[in-house]
Amino acid sequence: MRIRTPKDWELRESDVTPESAYRLRDRRSFLKTLGAGVAGATFLRTRGFAAMGGFPATPNPGYPPDGLKVTPYELITSYNNFYEFGMDKGDPVVNANQGWKPEPWTIEISGLVNNPGKWDVEDILKKMGGIEERIYRHRCVEAWSMVVPWDGFSLRKLVDFADPKPEAKYLRMNSFEHVEGSQDAGFDGAYLEGLRIDEARNELAFIATGIYGKPLPNQNGAPLRLVTPWKYGFKGIKSIVRIDFTTREPFNTWQMLAGNEYGFYANVNPTVDHPRWSQASERVIGGGIFNGRQETLMFNGYEKQVADLYKGMDLRKYF
Amino acid sequence: MEKLVRSKLFVWTLIVLPGLWPAWPIFRQNPTVLADPLKYLLHHFGFVACILLAVVLSLTPLRVLFPHARIALALNRHRRLIGVSAFFYALFHLGFQILHEGGWPTFTTDIRKPFLLCGALTFLILLTLAATSFNFMVRWMGGRRWKNLHRLVYLAVPLAAYHQALARKLFPVQVLWIFVPLLALEAARIIKQRRAASSRPR
Repeated sequence: MRIRTPKDWELRESDVTPESAYRLRDRRSFLKTLGAGVAGATFLRTRGFAAMGGFPATPNPGYPPDGLKVTPYELITSYNNFYEFGMDKGDPVVNANQGWKPEPWTIEISGLVNNPGKWDVEDILKKMGGIEERIYRHRCVEAWSMVVPWDGFSLRKLVDFADPKPEAKYLRMNSFEHVEGSQDAGFDGAYLEGLRIDEARNELAFIATGIYGKPLPNQNGAPLRLVTPWKYGFKGIKSIVRIDFTTREPFNTWQMLAGNEYGFYANVNPTVDHPRWSQASERVIGGGIFNGRQETLMFNGYEKQVADLYKGMDLRKYF
Repeated sequence: MEKLVRSKLFVWTLIVLPGLWPAWPIFRQNPTVLADPLKYLLHHFGFVACILLAVVLSLTPLRVLFPHARIALALNRHRRLIGVSAFFYALFHLGFQILHEGGWPTFTTDIRKPFLLCGALTFLILLTLAATSFNFMVRWMGGRRWKNLHRLVYLAVPLAAYHQALARKLFPVQVLWIFVPLLALEAARIIKQRRAASSRPR
């Protein structure tokens, strides 16, 4: 897959989409929202969707499929690791849709920032200036992969909005503690993840509010979740409740559960194996029984964008 | 009931059904299975093999603990059948694993990981026992030697349990309900046999 280099991308950031086309799209979406607004909103609400602002999203030409086969919607929304709703991958699609409504939803920004506070998700969406669509590879630490068309906004925008103080080095994010329909997740408290602040500011770091142009289904982490395509999927914390800016490296849930197998960085790396299986290749979800494996790419194919973040680090030690 | 349990056909059916289960068309509609059917088959066949291994080993303790229960006796007729079928499920499981690893070369490099090594050792033990399960093998080896060889199965159980416990990201609870009852039965049997031995006049 060829992705424009960051430089290229940054040069064009202001005109990702020709302004006239963007305005047109914007107007169209506005009209659509008007049309579907009254009837549609109530319909969607009963289906348990959240964070409905901004759809349809504007496709970001910086992240095209480029020959990648996008995974069908049914598989993305029914093959999920979301232990709060059950440990089998088929559990969350059932258990997350039995009364749990991720709305209204408040997200808290706290810690070493100049702009702390609590915001409703819909307000945050407006402050982020709407949503865009990006097609990303998704590589699970269990050695399977998907290609997902996410809708959402750049995490960098949210970091800038929070306006971190210079001493803030890390983002510590957590999910909900207990909600209706959730069960024994195998860990105590809320799911916890984190990023270094420069990772969070990387152009790829993304907060998703939807897939396939629809608001995120509950089982995929409604109303908003983290997407870091160069890292293993478990870094992508679902249903974020709070983002705390700190000086210390957060100790994430999977480190707590099995620190010898899962680290803080969790960068996709075909040369560093999981203790129980190889990470050199992966199985593509939706392929048949006799579909072979495909080679796993360094940083999941996003080496150009993120390799600089880890210059000089021993990736075997910081796995 | 006892008649039914004595029937080879009945037990055969019970053993073969879980193997046909994944082919059931309704089951294929399950999106979780469709997402990665090979992984599903891999886990399913390993799971059934573990259950059969635990079942076949609980038969002797059941007979010792309940010597007058006819069902326990009837069940013990099928020990070889159940044991050999555990091997065949493990064989399919291994086949799916080789496919899942994307072929022989990756399979052979990954086999060094303790998780997979334990599975492979379990398989080798089951293979040895299945290969020597014929009547003429018992005669050829002699009863005592044959029996000693087949005690290897007690090594296969912890290996299989360890292998299964590591098969998922977090500890799968099913390992407990498969192997803890067996452990309890064996413990009860050993206690009973010790008591019988000590109360026997010398």
